[in-house]
Amino acid sequence: MSENKNMSKPNRKTPIWLEFLGSMNLAITLLVMLSIASVIGTVLQQNQVIQDYIIKFGPFWHEVYSQLDLYSVYGASWFMLVLLFLLVSTGVCVSRNTPVFIKDMKQFSEKLSLNALKHQPNHVSFTLDQTTENLQQHAIKTLKSHGFRYRTHQKEDGSITLAGLKGHWNRLGYFFSHISIIIICIGALMDGNLYLKFSEWTGNLAPETRNVSLNDVDPKAWLSADNYSYRGNVNITEGRDADVLFLPYGDGYLVQQLPFRIEVTDFRLDYYDNGMPKSYESDILLYADDLEEPLAKTIEVNHPLYYKDYAIYQSSYGDGGSKVNFNVHALASPNISNSVVESAINKNESLTTPVGQFRIEFTDFKLYNIVPRDKEEAELTGRKMQNNGPSVLFKVRNEQGKAWEYENFMIPNKQEDRWFFMSGVRTSVAEPFRYLFIPADANRSKDRFFKFLALLNNPQARETVLSNMVPKPENMEESTYQTQLRLFGQLINLFRQTGFDGIARFVETNVPQDQQEQVMAFYYDQLASSLQTLYLHILDEEGIIRDDADNINQEHQLWFEDALTAIASLHRYGPPLFFELTSFEQIQSTGLQITKSPGKDVVYFGSAMLIMGVFFMFYVRQRRVWIHLKSAGDKTEVTIAGKDNKKLPETEEEFQKFVTQLKS
Amino acid sequence: MENTNKNTIWQSFSLRDWIWPLVVLIGSLVAWQIYADNMDRYEVAILFGVSLATIWLGWYWKSFQTHAYFVASISLVSIWFYQMNGNLYQANETVFFLKYLISSQAAIMWMSFLVLLGTVTYFFGLFRQSDFIYKVSTFITWTAATLGFVGIMVRWYESYLISSDYGHIPVSSLYEVFILFIVMTILMYLYYEQKFKTRAMGGFVMLVMSASVLFVLWYVFDRQSHEIQPLIPALQSWWMKIHVPANFVGYGGFSIAAMVGVAMLIRLRLEKHNPQSRLLSGLPTQRIMDDIMYRSIAIGFAFFTVATVLGAMWAAEAWGGYWSWDPKETWALIVWLNYAAWLHIRMTKGWHGAPMAWWAVIGLFITTFAFLGVNIFLSGLHSYGEL
Ligand code: HEM
Repeated sequence: MSENKNMSKPNRKTPIWLEFLGSMNLAITLLVMLSIASVIGTVLQQNQVIQDYIIKFGPFWHEVYSQLDLYSVYGASWFMLVLLFLLVSTGVCVSRNTPVFIKDMKQFSEKLSLNALKHQPNHVSFTLDQTTENLQQHAIKTLKSHGFRYRTHQKEDGSITLAGLKGHWNRLGYFFSHISIIIICIGALMDGNLYLKFSEWTGNLAPETRNVSLNDVDPKAWLSADNYSYRGNVNITEGRDADVLFLPYGDGYLVQQLPFRIEVTDFRLDYYDNGMPKSYESDILLYADDLEEPLAKTIEVNHPLYYKDYAIYQSSYGDGGSKVNFNVHALASPNISNSVVESAINKNESLTTPVGQFRIEFTDFKLYNIVPRDKEEAELTGRKMQNNGPSVLFKVRNEQGKAWEYENFMIPNKQEDRWFFMSGVRTSVAEPFRYLFIPADANRSKDRFFKFLALLNNPQARETVLSNMVPKPENMEESTYQTQLRLFGQLINLFRQTGFDGIARFVETNVPQDQQEQVMAFYYDQLASSLQTLYLHILDEEGIIRDDADNINQEHQLWFEDALTAIASLHRYGPPLFFELTSFEQIQSTGLQITKSPGKDVVYFGSAMLIMGVFFMFYVRQRRVWIHLKSAGDKTEVTIAGKDNKKLPETEEEFQKFVTQLKS
Repeated sequence: MENTNKNTIWQSFSLRDWIWPLVVLIGSLVAWQIYADNMDRYEVAILFGVSLATIWLGWYWKSFQTHAYFVASISLVSIWFYQMNGNLYQANETVFFLKYLISSQAAIMWMSFLVLLGTVTYFFGLFRQSDFIYKVSTFITWTAATLGFVGIMVRWYESYLISSDYGHIPVSSLYEVFILFIVMTILMYLYYEQKFKTRAMGGFVMLVMSASVLFVLWYVFDRQSHEIQPLIPALQSWWMKIHVPANFVGYGGFSIAAMVGVAMLIRLRLEKHNPQSRLLSGLPTQRIMDDIMYRSIAIGFAFFTVATVLGAMWAAEAWGGYWSWDPKETWALIVWLNYAAWLHIRMTKGWHGAPMAWWAVIGLFITTFAFLGVNIFLSGLHSYGEL
């Protein structure tokens, strides 16, 4: 294409470096460099903790990468440099093509010689027996009907050239799309963090790396309200307010002072029936000096609040320190004892118990725990999901600093038609929770369980109950009877401390191989009957009527077995404490993102231009036709030539169509 | 488009070209009447914007009218079947026509089958140089596109049947956008097939479609990805309706360009090694292929530009920043820059033939990574459809 030849063969005077900057090769190199840099930025996780990188790449490569700023490519100075070069290159390119293209847009080149016409991509010559005047009129009509603007030129030899031109928007397209690139880059730079980088470099700015309260934040990490452009987050608890933002920066954060104050009056979270969050929204009040009364708005995802050149977005949510109250049951105590703990999420309590000093750290509260039901459950109820109700997450730490993490549910949930209170425990976040299932009693409480447990923990009580309920048969020696009772006691203790498998281990270590089996059987039998006896006593106390002496109905039998399973696993439950969530008051916090981006509108403007430009460039063709008329007596020699700035298959036929229409 | 073309449009206007806009407008008005109260003003604007675009498209490309009529009527029949059966989603298990033909899932399964079939027949036609087989392939492919489109429309309706708050245009999950991709690309291909009067590239283009279909099938049978899920808050926005389709016109154009590139490379090889191969006479000339490649990259680039800008604007509203260097965004930029470079080389250096063909093929790999790879390998804000 001629114009491109012009471009790549500029007028003599341009110095070599301008030549270079405006060169297409540089442009393309820059585009490619930009792509590669971006690739790195996506495959290499950006802005992680340094340690992770060292572990991942080893000290050597870590050093190399961090020297190259590969951990924050898009903020890296060399990346900015590439952008800048692209800017300059595009700029130079545009400025150098402008004259060429403008000329090309304006000129009709109606003065072209007949010879020149015959060298155009499309051209025909023929003679028609009509007068030049009629033909001229006709030609003009045809040109107009095809949307050409035209110029007429009369040569001294009397011949007439009509030069038609259309689609000069194609050229504008070039300007639009390329100038827009510059505009977009400028907008982006306006919103970039160059200023921050500069003030860090000059030493007036230093990110805060410690996790401290606002007052203790290093003053160098504060940004004043008149900061030009920023984007940061802040978590606000329901009923509280905030007038600062936190901007992640380097390996720490900066604190941005806001020119207004945001109060969150309420936060609402809504779920789909499958447990996915459906919507979350905050009612906020915005206080500013120039507002006589606060601006009230409900913001949700995709519906931010715009105020002046600030935008306030709903971006996340969490627990804002819900109040949680517990009954703490002492699992090892010989009598039903519990103490009350009243605390809140994100708070710590210290607890002194007969079994030692503990630090309780309450980490999270969930109002709903919506989990998928298993297949047949779903079939039965026709609902895929079930809600396990409120749960609280907390850690219990002993004096040595060893911690157990618990997840306790407030209400019982149904498993195989029985109700259980679930409590998960784990010693490291890496492993999944192991759940303790405490069977609920007739009135859906844990009372019977704790009563039964306390009885097992209490030698004297146990003794009396057993001796009452299993009196000495006449024909038995007193001593044998005593040994039996003692055996009961020892087995129960062993069971409490180590569970069923503990008894197995005891037998394996203390009984000769050949007798182990029957001893084991005997022990289990003894243990079972003694536990059963104690359980019956509990039932009697509850006033449950039994159909006969030591037979109990299915339901109570099942409860008994579930209780034993639970108790047998207590020795793996950590410190002998059970935190029963008795009441709570949920307090949520909302995560807001607040931005001030003056570059935004610039970028949008540029983008609009870019789109227009690209479409013009692609879909508007700049086309020329020349109609040369030379009268020869009452005939006229006609030469038609056509040129299209894009060689397209239809160009040919369109030219033919034009010609035929002109001939007719 | 450019003037002469308009002229030809107006000249060739027939009765159906006058009925067409009426049908489209009435259709949109009815839709508006029914759904007005779950549309915000942007969505109304989109509805009528789309119907105007559709009218124009139907005028510019007549076959699209027929296609649209089929899609509309089949979808309506499907919806009618649902309504005959108490408007229950479960009807697609019990009612024969829904279960085996025109519930969205059934329609999409048929589309998948036809795409695979069409691929084979196109190649068969190419090797046999048989016009008849070619015509059959084209018919199969049109049917595939129609059923795919029906699948999308019906799925849209079904999503509201499951639960009114689940309802959304099916362009949100990876599964849904794959269907969109297949349908759009097929239609774009069929347009070029008509415009350049050659069916020889059909097999090549349909290869990509087949690959996508196979992926979708795996995704359905291994992951139950076709189950309709509700929208996460970030996706509940009218932006999605324009951002996503615009993107897939882009992807479609790039895929076609790449496969035409493959065809061209094969042609160039044959010319070198065995010039008298029958295939050569079957394949269009390099000039035509160059041109198709340029055009599909051009339209791809144009729409991809639009899509990226829309995406940025949406991001500004949903995430609080028009550009966050989130992997998906970044890869969109990479794809865009790549094709910008391609266009420049062609424009100003006048490159063509093998190098540009290779570049277009590589471009498709980059595009594929932006489309799929990012969801598989990189995590980011674009939270839809992780594998
Ligand atoms: C991110 C940067 C750029 C983008 C996105 C871009 C985009 C485009 C596009 C889409 C076209 C149309 C190609 C066609 O019509 O097939 C084009 C053409 C062109 N670009 Fe760029 N461009 C960029 C930078 C540059 C630079 C730096 C230069 C200067 C060396 C340049 C010089 C040209 C020229 C001379 C044309 C041909 C115009 C014509 O003859 O119609 N571009 N550009």
